[in-house]
Amino acid sequence: MTQTLERPSTGISRPGRPPRRKRRLSFTGWFRSGGFVAVLFAVPIVLTFLYFSWGPVVSGLVMSFQRTNLVAAPVWVGLNNFAFVLTDPELPQAALNTVYYAALGLILGFPVPIILAVFINELRRGSWAYNLLAYLPAVVPPVAGILLWKFFYDPSSDGIFNSILSWVGLGPFPWLNSEAMAMPSLVLYTTWAGAGATAIIYLAAIGGINTELYEAAEIDGSGIWSRLWHVTLPQLRNIIFIMMLLQLIGTFQLFTEPFLFTGGGPNNATQTVMLKIYKYAFVNGDYGSATALSVILALFLCLLSVVYYYFTRRWSPS
Amino acid sequence: MKKHVLRAGLAVTAAAALIALAGCSGGGTEGASATADPKAKVTITVGDEPTADKKADRENFLKKVDDFQKLYPNITVKPSTEYWQAQTFQAKLAGGTLPTTMNVSLTYSKQLIANKQLPNMTPYLKQIGLLDKLNPLALDNVKDDKGDVYTVPYGLFSVGIAYNRAIFQQAGLDPDKPPTTWDEVQQYAKTIAQKVPNVAGYAQLTTNNTGGWMLTTMTYSMGGTVTDSSGKKATMGAPTEKALQLLQDMRWKDNSMGSQFLYNQDDIRKAFAAGKIGMVLQAPDAYDQAVHNYGMKPADYGQGALPQADGEHGTLTGGTIAMFNAKASPNELLAASRWVEFMNFQKYFDQDFAVASAKADAASNTAVGTPGLPPVSQSVYDTYLGWIKDEINVPREQFTGYIDSKLKLIPEPADAQNTYATLDPLVQKVLTDQNADIKQLVTQASTAIDRNLAQQR
Repeated sequence: MTQTLERPSTGISRPGRPPRRKRRLSFTGWFRSGGFVAVLFAVPIVLTFLYFSWGPVVSGLVMSFQRTNLVAAPVWVGLNNFAFVLTDPELPQAALNTVYYAALGLILGFPVPIILAVFINELRRGSWAYNLLAYLPAVVPPVAGILLWKFFYDPSSDGIFNSILSWVGLGPFPWLNSEAMAMPSLVLYTTWAGAGATAIIYLAAIGGINTELYEAAEIDGSGIWSRLWHVTLPQLRNIIFIMMLLQLIGTFQLFTEPFLFTGGGPNNATQTVMLKIYKYAFVNGDYGSATALSVILALFLCLLSVVYYYFTRRWSPS
Repeated sequence: MKKHVLRAGLAVTAAAALIALAGCSGGGTEGASATADPKAKVTITVGDEPTADKKADRENFLKKVDDFQKLYPNITVKPSTEYWQAQTFQAKLAGGTLPTTMNVSLTYSKQLIANKQLPNMTPYLKQIGLLDKLNPLALDNVKDDKGDVYTVPYGLFSVGIAYNRAIFQQAGLDPDKPPTTWDEVQQYAKTIAQKVPNVAGYAQLTTNNTGGWMLTTMTYSMGGTVTDSSGKKATMGAPTEKALQLLQDMRWKDNSMGSQFLYNQDDIRKAFAAGKIGMVLQAPDAYDQAVHNYGMKPADYGQGALPQADGEHGTLTGGTIAMFNAKASPNELLAASRWVEFMNFQKYFDQDFAVASAKADAASNTAVGTPGLPPVSQSVYDTYLGWIKDEINVPREQFTGYIDSKLKLIPEPADAQNTYATLDPLVQKVLTDQNADIKQLVTQASTAIDRNLAQQR
């Protein structure tokens, strides 16, 4: 039954046109056609952008080749800073920790907002209350949230989590005080803090799915799981890919949580690349090494984004 | 062709603009050789103004600002609540946003001097006659190789052991006899953990470089050092291993260290003030924070000297220095020197001022008479204590073990903060991993410190 619609031929052939003459670029012509005014309008914006956006980037790049404390005169050291950070014995563990956090975040944290959004969307009544509850953690400032969760993670048997778990005969657990549990504890917090805000984005995307698809699926006898698998998730594919990339980049820039929860401990178990950059700069005052590692991280994230783009492009409907 | 030329020109201009932008930062330590005019009208910013929530402290501070401005009408003082915080200090120093003068941890002194991040204060301190009044032992911490002075040390102390007298009593220990050896610390900690429920017999600082700080202190007390005197190599060995072994034994064999092993300075002082810790390595300045900020009963605070092992070896010195902004003008630096003298030294030479100042401090519940190392000569310091004896609100008899101690004072290791940061994980490892290989940890840390010291040169 399908029909291919073809553009009907008008049967009128175009009259022959003389070949277009290449317009010559003359300053007067450019000036009269408003080119100068356009440049005048653009200059402040471009300069502001250069100064505030690209200025620090280039400044950081230059600094990565210098030994500087920003007070005394800088000394050009070539690639020494790069060699220093790349041979830092703590760097492999920091990189592995960062990858571990990213993997844990993807496995444990990534599905939570999708599930939350689908659940809220399925509610017939009171979805606003669940929306509010889900979004509430995003309103709590990260520092306040982390300090609050530090109490929850109290390793003694009086700690809040340990007290709750003791009702079912579990624990007490050392939480942040254990090398094995520290990173999952951070993921648990970040999932709590970030899931609500991400769920709102998924919820908006679900709202945009054509309801006819659900109706057709229901007529075909699909249940809730089948609808979720065959309609909702495929329709959310694009937004899922974007959110996954943003989460990946975000996890590689993890800093606040390990800084405030554990300071990178115990025994560097939560030391991340960003925390190392911070320590180079603000503990050691070695801005050259800090910017060198930042440049390496930025290059890695660019590469990751490109690889991710090429891998996901095949699966994207558009 | 024209287009290509235009594009190339634009690219070159943009690159030049960016390089110019990149080169905007920078500074220097000029001004040290310039002369200062003592009568010039000048405005300085001074840090450490108490925040609005500490009303009495703030009023006391602002009154001192007024008094200073009356004494020196040509100097305008703008107080700032900026105070030293390890996390932001380096960034603010680099950004040039610190006040003309503020208080900083002594730890930074050598590093800042070596990095040329401080102005040479010798001419200004000489000009106001302050240099001759300072304790020569204290001055050693703030001089460069040529003997030039860069900061003013005033709140000096050595690390000792703070203990909760009430907990000692509950555990059946004598509160007037703090432990003097590490064997006693281990034994007392075990007793406390067994007899007083939910209290750690002994707790250790471990995060934000404090783990390394205290491991260095323990190493000193066991006869070792962390870096050599030239600041080129790590020198840790058996004493550091012994210190870590002791911590591992207390944690895993005796179970006398509680369940929290990620402590920074604030957290451990809070827990100590709340009666959750029996003993902890601290300098006596912990008293003010524990009592004044965290509500500990003054009668419960006790302070002993740093416990030793295998004879007497010494303890780590620390304290506060008044730091000056490298970007300040000579006149500002001279005025800032006067402010530092007024705030921290005038009390040692002017009886009326000393008594009035102590009365004001006592009225705002600030600790008066906290034991420490005198920033001036011992005889001047003793005379000062005599003047203010009626205003002293610190129970100095509970600090007897600390005051009577004659331990050798050992300066901090080279590249102190960086070295401490490298040592933090060692302490955390032995406290959280029963099977930690101490020898291997110390060897790895030594290699890392050597590497950091080489990078600093």
